[in-house]
Amino acid sequence: MKKLTIYSILGVVLLSVTSCYKTDNWAAPDVRVHGRVIDSYTGENLLSSQNDWSIRIWERSWTGTAEPTSQNLAVKQDGSYNNSKLFAGTYDMLPYGGPFWPVTDTVKNVSFNGTTEQDFTVTPYLQLIDFETSLDGLNLTMKCRLKAPIRTGLPNLVEIKPFLSLTTFCGAGANSNIDIAEYSNKRIQINKSWQDEVGDSETSNVYTIGPLPVKAGYTYYVRLGANVNDANRKYNYTEIVRVDVPR
Amino acid sequence: MKKRLLAYITLLGGLLFSQCRQLDLEPKGIMGEAELFGTEYGVKMYFAGLYNYLPIEDFQYYANNGYHRFNWDTEKNSQGAMSGEYFNTWISVDNDGFGYWPYDRIREVNNFIQSFPNYKDKFPEGMYNKLLGEAHFLRAYFYFGLAKRYGGVPIVTEVQDPLAGPEVLNVSRNTEYDTWKFIHDDLQFAIDNMETDTKETGRANKYVAAALMSRTMLYAGSIAKYTESLGFKATELAAQQGLAGMEPSQANEFFQYAVDAGKLVESGPYSLYNQNADKAVNFASLFLDPGSPETIFVKEFDKNSPNDNVLKHNYDALMSPAPDMSSFVGSESYVPLDFMELYDMPAYTNPDGTPVRFDSRSDIRNGMEPRALGTMYLDGDELRGHTFEIQRGIYRTFDGVASDIQRGVNSAPINSNGNRILGAKGATTEIDGVTYKIAGDHGNFENVGGSENALFGSAYIRKYINPDMPTSEVNVYRSDQSWVVFRLGEIYLNTAEALYELGQRDEAFDYIAKIRERAGAKVVRPAIDMTMTNIGTINKANYTYSLEKSLQFIRDERQRELYAENHWWWDIRRWRTADQILNNFRQRVLSCYYVADEGKYIYLDEDNRLNRQWTASKACYYEPIPGGEIGKNNNLRPNNPLYN
Repeated sequence: MKKLTIYSILGVVLLSVTSCYKTDNWAAPDVRVHGRVIDSYTGENLLSSQNDWSIRIWERSWTGTAEPTSQNLAVKQDGSYNNSKLFAGTYDMLPYGGPFWPVTDTVKNVSFNGTTEQDFTVTPYLQLIDFETSLDGLNLTMKCRLKAPIRTGLPNLVEIKPFLSLTTFCGAGANSNIDIAEYSNKRIQINKSWQDEVGDSETSNVYTIGPLPVKAGYTYYVRLGANVNDANRKYNYTEIVRVDVPR
Repeated sequence: MKKRLLAYITLLGGLLFSQCRQLDLEPKGIMGEAELFGTEYGVKMYFAGLYNYLPIEDFQYYANNGYHRFNWDTEKNSQGAMSGEYFNTWISVDNDGFGYWPYDRIREVNNFIQSFPNYKDKFPEGMYNKLLGEAHFLRAYFYFGLAKRYGGVPIVTEVQDPLAGPEVLNVSRNTEYDTWKFIHDDLQFAIDNMETDTKETGRANKYVAAALMSRTMLYAGSIAKYTESLGFKATELAAQQGLAGMEPSQANEFFQYAVDAGKLVESGPYSLYNQNADKAVNFASLFLDPGSPETIFVKEFDKNSPNDNVLKHNYDALMSPAPDMSSFVGSESYVPLDFMELYDMPAYTNPDGTPVRFDSRSDIRNGMEPRALGTMYLDGDELRGHTFEIQRGIYRTFDGVASDIQRGVNSAPINSNGNRILGAKGATTEIDGVTYKIAGDHGNFENVGGSENALFGSAYIRKYINPDMPTSEVNVYRSDQSWVVFRLGEIYLNTAEALYELGQRDEAFDYIAKIRERAGAKVVRPAIDMTMTNIGTINKANYTYSLEKSLQFIRDERQRELYAENHWWWDIRRWRTADQILNNFRQRVLSCYYVADEGKYIYLDEDNRLNRQWTASKACYYEPIPGGEIGKNNNLRPNNPLYN
């Protein structure tokens, strides 16, 4: 009797374990797609921030629903993107919601297989040029000029905003931004058309932002961003500059 | 013997089967359509459930979580806490909503509208029309809850057959214009068919339908006028197809509907509440007096009702400080300075920049607009046998200007080296041999957060607080004052705004003057200022469009009058200014300090010490169609702007 109980328990245990052995009928996604988002003015990667915007993709080889749900590939601070966990197939791709003139021609039927590289070229709304930082004791001042090569149909300028971070990640979407009133209140709010704010010129006068209080002995990574009133209001940025505040 | 047995069995079998037909009876414990739709009382029962589900942002509206939530902390997570109207628990701004999708309720209304004609002969004609009108009112209210969130939604007016198949069931969205027009048509039907009897304040009549018309059409008008400023059309499919957004040219049609509806309400038996010579007490009482002639429609609560009905609330318990005025966890919501200073207020800073010295803390009430005093409790006010005592701390000496405090940071020289003393509840300090209590009995305490009965700033909410409840009664689910859904004051403001948008400026200010007269404002009728500006009042917001200064005044008047009535969030959305007002909106607080070496009190404008801020993005103007619904029905695409 005892033996019977032991055997039956053993049997149940064995059965319960074997049920775990069944292999998944769907292979893990292993296709990589990567590339750059290129600024058409500079030919370099678009100056961006973490979490700011993304590339939308639609899997056309998916037939489960009439219209596939779009997915987002996040664009990184350096203007590149990379995702190595996608299913193989054909996809449509579109840079969407960033600080550039809307891209209307979706790149259709890109085949994702193994490693796929796909670059995009976009035309930013604004360029932030002649970026300078200066430190006066514990006060940081930043300067830049705005440039808008295309002004016809340009949405209103919204603001120029300083971004300060204690890590190398710096920008509106970066989690490490120092978000305090002393900085946020120093942004220059414009909310005017380019014509009203700057006039006929392609390049604006110098905007000065600051003084921004900083702490002695800290290393800051700083930049300026400016945006226009399109649907997404994402920022065009200057490059990131490292500022070492002396002790 | 065998034969007899067989006979018995046959007989038994025969009996059994004959009985079966008889057993197929209408169950007596369940009300069928005939009982519900065939009598006035039955219809009332059928509607009662629908009334409870109306999308009314009342005490039991849990921001980011839904209507009539039966949670102890609903009032703590109110819409005002989400939109920055209160300093409170910090809830992030509701960009994407909680997936409100009341097509089940709409189906119930449609079921009534479809079947009720079969029972027409059971009612006198007036009664029949009234009930049918009421159903259209209810349906319009549900669609209003949808339209203000999603813009264009599928207009379903029939009771769909669940087996009809995808080509019938997978409905497409109507345009936003058609959706608001549908709401207009339903309400027009309700107005035309309902009666002027106003005895039941918790139930719709002709004027209630007109009041809803006034609000909805004002919303539609401003959405039509200002959505263009968002710039969605360049990239967003839903905007291009008219599902999210309307044309500015369509605005005046809606504004005119709002004006007409407002005037219809005025023809009813309503008047602004003016029953108490003390204008502050008068304003506070208007929300509590069940006989208020200003009230048009209420949602009634009853603390003895079953829990399932969610018809009792914790408003008093979560808005008054414990233990003196609440026997529950205590207050969770405070008035930021940004909203206090919308009203007439005494100067607390001299022209030379130094803080005004007050002999007593409660002197801050002198020169405050009576309506503000009716909206909030300040130091010196009494509630439930206790006097509010509100102070943040002590300055040993204050030799300087108000801005020396650098918005209240500890590192400012004047706040350093023990010159500014802050403390926990009950903490004391000794200065030159005299012992002082650092903070007031009711805040502002340094050791706890704003959601823990600490108070930030200098005011508690007074609106809707029931002073007649003893503190021992003020507990969870013990409050049952009604929520005033529509009152004449709001209708006046709706009409004023719509008139101003239509260019009838003087007439608009006739209504503003009535409101400000009752409020006890210093200037009852300000001169009309047609200067254009794009700078708002709260957070000095930088709007993306310009408007006349007097229109901004009307918008501010709306907030002065309707503060804490859950209008603001919907207002800044429909004005398309939410993303600018809530652009790193850091609430400021007014803090009271005792200056020890002078024996006087000062009030200072500081940043909230937790450095909380509210930010809305442009994605807040249209909530995304709930994912589960799009998953079931792809025809609901394209999704709203900035959602995919």
